[in-house]
Amino acid sequence: MKKSKTTLLIVAAAVIFLAGITGSLFVLFAPKQSAVNIIQDGKTLMTLRLSEEKDRTFVLPYGDSSNTIEIKDGRIRVKDAQCPDKTCVHTGWLSSSAMPIVCLPNHLVISFADSEGEVDAVAE
Amino acid sequence: MKPRRLAELAVLTAVALIIFIIELQIPNPFPIPGVKLGLANIITVYAVYHYRAYETAMMVAVRLLLGSIFSGNIAALLYSASGSVCCLLGMLLLRKIIDERHLWLASVFGAVLHNTGQMLAAVAVTQTAQLFAYYPFLLVSGCLAGAFTGLCAQFIVPRLKKIKPKTK
Repeated sequence: MKKSKTTLLIVAAAVIFLAGITGSLFVLFAPKQSAVNIIQDGKTLMTLRLSEEKDRTFVLPYGDSSNTIEIKDGRIRVKDAQCPDKTCVHTGWLSSSAMPIVCLPNHLVISFADSEGEVDAVAE
Repeated sequence: MKPRRLAELAVLTAVALIIFIIELQIPNPFPIPGVKLGLANIITVYAVYHYRAYETAMMVAVRLLLGSIFSGNIAALLYSASGSVCCLLGMLLLRKIIDERHLWLASVFGAVLHNTGQMLAAVAVTQTAQLFAYYPFLLVSGCLAGAFTGLCAQFIVPRLKKIKPKTK
């Protein structure tokens, strides 16, 4: 009885693992989009069309901390951040529509905008 | 609580803290928030199977608090705490089902639950559902890291048995 339960749980763990791998691949190969949202505390601070943006660098303050954001050659990244882990800096250029750049300490998310909104606009 | 028991818990907590701080010095090759080996959880996994629920919970609470103070990353406390609560609740249930020879399995589930708790806290704090895009990566890393720490704990169990006199 106990043994069969263990086997069941091993299978469950394997399923979780495979689901994770499938999901990761899906996220990694999701296509790029041209519009980018910069979101802080759940509010969209700005929406940028990367292909039309000039190369520039700007600072987003957040309390005592801040993130330096760079736009270059139609790409966007967090160049520098005043947070302990700097995960957002290490993420590098935004490349997948499913995987945003995230700075948890500063509650900052940079992601490609949903294309659904645009489709709706065209349909209307 | 007997002084001997208290001392054991204190030593284990201290060991977990030391592991935690050493792990901080190892650069993380994966730029994904929440992805981590979590070596200190070797001690957590061991404690879940050898101490009472509230004793394990106390150990983890002290380690989280001191760990976030020592690492200077107090903002991360919220995420790690909610992860740990999920992980502990799940593992304390699982220890009734999974025997100690399958410690690594319990650890895998613990790690996945930890990542789930973290994820929910992060989404709640930032109010941004896009964060769920990281969840598949966390699942994979949780399975691998959980299996690794669980195996480490499994190797430690017989060694600790040798030095620990039977009390209970």
